[in-house]
Amino acid sequence: MNKKSVLIVEDDKWLAEQYARVLKSAGYEPTISLHALAAIEVVDDVHPDAIILDVLLAGSTAFALIHELQTYEDTGKIPIILCTHLAGELSLENLKPYGVRRIIDKSVMVPDDLVLAVKSVLL
Amino acid sequence: MSATKGEHKHNFEGAIFGGLPSLVVAAHELKAPLALVRQLSLTLEDGDISVDEQKHMLRQISLTSERALRLTSDLTRSVRLPEALFTLEPINPQQLCEDIIRDLTPLFSAHDRQVKLTSRRRSLLLVGNRDLLRRIIMNFSDNALNYAEGDARVEIKIDTRNSGQVIRLGVRDYGPAVSKDIFKSLRSKLLVSSTTTIHARPQSSGLGLYIVGQFATAMNGNIGVTRHRDGATFYVDLLASNQLSLL
Repeated sequence: MNKKSVLIVEDDKWLAEQYARVLKSAGYEPTISLHALAAIEVVDDVHPDAIILDVLLAGSTAFALIHELQTYEDTGKIPIILCTHLAGELSLENLKPYGVRRIIDKSVMVPDDLVLAVKSVLL
Repeated sequence: MSATKGEHKHNFEGAIFGGLPSLVVAAHELKAPLALVRQLSLTLEDGDISVDEQKHMLRQISLTSERALRLTSDLTRSVRLPEALFTLEPINPQQLCEDIIRDLTPLFSAHDRQVKLTSRRRSLLLVGNRDLLRRIIMNFSDNALNYAEGDARVEIKIDTRNSGQVIRLGVRDYGPAVSKDIFKSLRSKLLVSSTTTIHARPQSSGLGLYIVGQFATAMNGNIGVTRHRDGATFYVDLLASNQLSLL
């Protein structure tokens, strides 16, 4: 069976690698993009099954990427998991129409939270 | 997808940080390194990791902690700046930058990146405070490390302005181009030394730049930014010392 691919968009390289390590050991195929512009290119190449997205990124924010993904029917359906320190400021209900399916608070998450979130959006 | 990729802009982070007290901003700024250290520690606790990887992660923990400590130390220094006594002295910027590069090399190597010094002239002297100037360049370099793309190098440059009366120390990164709007916002933030968000580096609250702006002012200098097609240069301008001309 093909592994499900997960695109990690996180501008802290070491944190992105950490997410990738956790997801890989859980059987997923992670790809890392360090900023939103690179992520847009990667989405075309990799066609990820899910996207883990930081909100405050170098260059442009996660919302620029979300807007772009929403512009196209295929990419608009990719479930997005926001993984951010701003979780307390965001409303999942408000963001659901934009493909955001989970919000994880980076400050309190444990590594398994990432796997659980990916599992739940890929059900 | 079309050629409009990534063209959208969003001022979300401005809405989050705009006008917040600096204590809140500082707390947010420290969250990033602490969260990384926590994630790495939790994974290490889990135990199912090769010895090599364990060493790698431990190294990342210590380097990330050092960066967080640098920020807290800069913050403390900044708060105490008005009451602090510090001397302005002639400083050889080449020597100072070489020392900084020596200290930063382990951090940059751990990120598979290089930091280099490019200077046209060796015999320059500026008027400044060694500790404050060092903090400014370290801060710019940390910022550039975050922003540089792939294995792009970061360059520390020493140059002169106004017929040699001003010495500019700049840190050049090669990252995604900064858009015009972002650049305008960034420039205005630097000019007013505000603690509000600097949109070019949304992951950062701009606190670091605010602090180094204060350090520069304390040395009768100023900081600024130049936009390039492929990145940016953050710089500090300081007065040249006349000591050499007396020799």
